[in-house]
Amino acid sequence: MRIFENTNYNLVGSRKRGYILSGILILLSIGAILTRGLEVGIDFRGGMEFVVESDEVLEVTQVRAALTSVLETSPEVKTYSDVGAGGQDALLIRTASEGETTEIQLLIIQGISDVFPESNPRVIKTDIVGPRFAEDLKRGSFYAVLGSLLVIFLYVMLRFEWRFGLGAVAALFHDVLITLGVFSLLQGIMPFSMQIDQAIIAAFLTIVGYSLNDTVVIFDRIREYTNLFKTEPYKTVVNRSVNTTLSRTFVTSGTTLLVVATLFMFGGEVLRGFSFALIIGIIIGTYSSVFVATPVVVELYHRSGLAKKAGRR
Amino acid sequence: MQGNGFKVGAVVFFLALSAWYLFPSFQGLSLNNRLEGMGQEERVDYERENYSRIESIKEKSLNLGLDLQGGMHVTMEVGLRELLVQLAGERRDDMFDQVLVAADARAEIEGISLIDAFVEEFEGRDPDASLSRYFRSEEITRRSSNAEVTDYLRTEAAEAMQRAMQVIRNRVDRYGVTEPSIQTQGSRRIVVELPGIDDPERVRRLLKGTARLEFRLMADPGELNSSLQRIISYYEVDVAAEADSVETPAEEDTSEEADTSFDVSQLLAETEGLDDVGNPLLDVLIPAGQGSVVFGEVSVQDTATFNSLMADPEVQAMLPRDIELLYDANPSGTGGAEYYPVLAVNVNAELTGDVITDARADFDQTTNQPLVDMEMNSEGARVWSRITGANVGKNVAIVLDRVVYSYPTVIGQISGGRSQITGLASQEESDDIVTVLKSGALPAPVEIVEERTVGPSLGIVARKSGFTSLLVGLSIVALFMIIYYRGGGMVADLALIINIIFILGILAGFNATLTLPGIAGIVLTIGMAVDANVLIFERVREEQSTGKTLKASIDGGYGKALSAIVDANITTFFVGIILYSFGVGPIQGFAVTLMAGILASLFSAIVFTRIIFDYVVIGRRGAVGFG
Repeated sequence: MRIFENTNYNLVGSRKRGYILSGILILLSIGAILTRGLEVGIDFRGGMEFVVESDEVLEVTQVRAALTSVLETSPEVKTYSDVGAGGQDALLIRTASEGETTEIQLLIIQGISDVFPESNPRVIKTDIVGPRFAEDLKRGSFYAVLGSLLVIFLYVMLRFEWRFGLGAVAALFHDVLITLGVFSLLQGIMPFSMQIDQAIIAAFLTIVGYSLNDTVVIFDRIREYTNLFKTEPYKTVVNRSVNTTLSRTFVTSGTTLLVVATLFMFGGEVLRGFSFALIIGIIIGTYSSVFVATPVVVELYHRSGLAKKAGRR
Repeated sequence: MQGNGFKVGAVVFFLALSAWYLFPSFQGLSLNNRLEGMGQEERVDYERENYSRIESIKEKSLNLGLDLQGGMHVTMEVGLRELLVQLAGERRDDMFDQVLVAADARAEIEGISLIDAFVEEFEGRDPDASLSRYFRSEEITRRSSNAEVTDYLRTEAAEAMQRAMQVIRNRVDRYGVTEPSIQTQGSRRIVVELPGIDDPERVRRLLKGTARLEFRLMADPGELNSSLQRIISYYEVDVAAEADSVETPAEEDTSEEADTSFDVSQLLAETEGLDDVGNPLLDVLIPAGQGSVVFGEVSVQDTATFNSLMADPEVQAMLPRDIELLYDANPSGTGGAEYYPVLAVNVNAELTGDVITDARADFDQTTNQPLVDMEMNSEGARVWSRITGANVGKNVAIVLDRVVYSYPTVIGQISGGRSQITGLASQEESDDIVTVLKSGALPAPVEIVEERTVGPSLGIVARKSGFTSLLVGLSIVALFMIIYYRGGGMVADLALIINIIFILGILAGFNATLTLPGIAGIVLTIGMAVDANVLIFERVREEQSTGKTLKASIDGGYGKALSAIVDANITTFFVGIILYSFGVGPIQGFAVTLMAGILASLFSAIVFTRIIFDYVVIGRRGAVGFG
C-alpha cells in the first residue's frame, strides 16, 4: 500500500495559506489564554485532591453543596471514571482548604455520608501538594521547558545551519502555543480534567521532541537535496524535499496518533489530559513541520542574501 | 552475510541479558498466580516455607510504581526555621524574628536555602553585626566570624537532616511495610514511598509526630484554685466594667481594662449573643472543684473559644508561676457531649523521652486498657527516683507532644526507672507510641509538603488500563505496518517486539520503576519506534523506484536514512534527559522509558532488521516485499 507516493504538491508555494491559518490559530490561542486563562492544577498552586468511591451513584451538585457548607469553601467536584472493584461511582474533589489532611478528609466523608447515608464513601486516592512544594515544582518545570528549548536550538544549530535552528524553534513555539490555546478553549467543556500539571508539562516536552523529530527529517532531506540539485531554485528543492518525505511524515504521524489515541481511550483517567495534549500536539506538530518550520527556512534563505550568493532564485 | 557476525552476537547478547534480568519478573508473575489460586492457610504455609525465595524474586522483579500497586508517597521537609529558633534558644530577640521572617519569604521566592537567606538578610541589615550573638556552641564563641557561624549552621542543618532520615527510617521499619523506600531529595527533603498502605491517616501521624515525651510536675491545687477564681472573676469584673464604662465613660484608671473588656464582650457577642450577660469564661468552662490539678473541662466545640479567652496576657499572668494549661488526651464525658479536662502543669519538664531505653505496648491487667511500659537509663532512673521520692501524694503529668496522657498520683518513690503511659484510646495508639519512642525524637519538626496516595483497588485499575493500552497500541501499529509494508512490515513488527523486550530488560536491569506514565512512554515509543523503519523502508522504496536491485536498494535505504534517524532520535533523547533531571516521581518514570525506548528502538530498528534482510536477501537469495 502506498499513499503520497511521488506527490508534487506545491507546498512551499502555498505557504502563504499556511501563514494565514497559523496566524489565525495563534491569535485565537492567545485570545483564549488571555480571556479564559489556563486552569492550573494543584501541582503548581498547591491544594488537595481526593478521589472518593462510593456504593451508590452520587449526584455531583448535591455533593458540591454539601461539601461547600462543611469545608467553608466551594470545592470542585467532578465525576471520576476509574472505579475500583466493588465501587459504584467515584468523584474527584479538589479543594484549596488548608489544614490537616486527615481532618479535611474526615469532613468530606462526613459531608457525603450526611447527604447519601447509604453510600459508604471512602477515599481511594489523595494528592496533596503544599504551597511551597508547588512553588518548587513550578520552578522545576519552567527550567525543564527552557532547558529543552535551548538544547534543541543548540543541537539543530550545530547539526544544520542557524536558519534551520530558528525554523525548528519557531515551529515548537507555534505547537506549544496552539496546544495551550486548545487547552484554554476546551477547559470545562471536556468531561475530563484539563488542568496544567506536571504530566501536561511532560506531554508538552514530548510534543516538542516529536515535532522536532518530524522537522529534522524534512531538514535532513533539504540538506541532502540542496547539494544534489545545485542548479534548481531553492524553493523547488525544498518543495521536492517536503514531497518526498510526505509519505513518511504521514505514516509516522499516523502510527503515533494511533497509539496516543489508544492511550486516550484505554489509559484511564490519570492519563486522559496527558494523552489529549499529545493528540493535539502531534496533529499540530505534523502540520507545523511542513507549513511553519520549512517556510521559515525558505524565507530566511531569501532574506539573508544566501540566494544571491549561491546564484539561485 | 559477512561482517554480520558481530551484529548477530550483539542481538543475541542483549536479548540474553534482557531475558536474564526479566526472568525474576516472570517468576514473580507465576508465583502471584499460584498464590492467588491457593486457600488462605495453604498460602500462609507456602509463604513461610519459601520465604527467602519469594523475597529474592520480589527484590529482583521489575518494580511497579505506587500508582500501579497502590501505596503512599510522602515528601517531608525538615523545619529549618524551627531548627534555627532552637539553636538560638534564649539568645533569640526581635531582630532575630524579623530576619527569620524575611529570610523565610526570600528562601521561598528565590528557591535558596533558608540558612543562606538568613545570613544574607542578617548581613544586609547590618554588615558589621556578628551572627555569633545568636548562636553558640563548643566551637562557636563570641569572637567567631560570620563565615564560621554559617558553616556551623550548615553542619547543624545537615546533621538534623541525617538524624531525621534515621528516625523516619526507624519508624517506617517498625511500622512494617514491605519494600519501603526512603530517600533524600535535595538538602532538606525526605521522600518516603510505602507500597500497599491502607491506613494513610495513621502513617501521617506516625511520620510527623515529634514524639516529645515529658514528665512534668503539676500545679499546687490550692494555688491553682485561687488563680482559677481570680480568672473567673476577671471576666465577671470585665463585663461589669463594661457596663460601668458605658454609663460613666470618663473613668480614667480603668480605661485599659475597658479596652480589653470591649474585646471580650465582642467575643461574647459573637459566641453567645448580645443579650447574654453571663460570664464568657463560664460559658465554655466547667470549673473544677477545690484540691485538684484540673483547671476545668471544656467541650470539644468550645476549645477554640476557651483558648482565645485564655490567651489574654493578663489572664496568663494570673496563672500560678511557671504553670501552663494543657488538654488531656481523653475526653471525660460519657454519652453525647465530650468534655476535655484542662490540666495545669509545669512549663518545664523534669525528665524527657531521651532517657527512655525501652518501650513495650501492653495491657492493664485489671482494666484491660492498652498502655505503654517504659524503661529508663540509669541517669533517668536516678532523676525519676528523686522526683517521685520528693513528690509523694502529688501528681506527675506524662505529656506527649503537648498533650497530657495521664497524671498519676505518686504513691511512693519509684526506683529502677520504670514508668507507664496509660489513658490510650486503642492498641494501635500504644503500638505507634512505642514505635515513635523507640525510633528516637526528631531533631526538628518535619512537615509533609507533598502526599500522594493510591488505594490498592485503584492500582489494579491503573495496571489493567496500562497493559490494555500497551497491547492495543502494539497490535494496531503491528497490523498497520504489515498492511502498509507487507514483508518489510513483518520484519519491523518483529523488531518492535524485540524492542519492548529490550525496554523492559533495561528497566529491570537498572532497577527502574515502572509507573503508569512510564507505560505511556512505552506506548508512545511503539508509535515512534517504527519511525526508524518507516524512514528506512521509504528510502528503500525510493531506491527501488530508480531501478536498483533489492540488495542495492536495501543498502542504499539503510545508508541514506541513518543521518535522519540519528538526528531525529537524539533530540528526543535530550528532552528525555531534561525531563528526568527536572521532573519528579511519575514524570521521571516517563522520561526513563522514553530514553530506554529510544536506545532500544535505534538498536532493534537499525541493527536487528538489517540482519534479517541480509539473511533473507543475501543468505537465502529470497525476496522481501516493501509494499
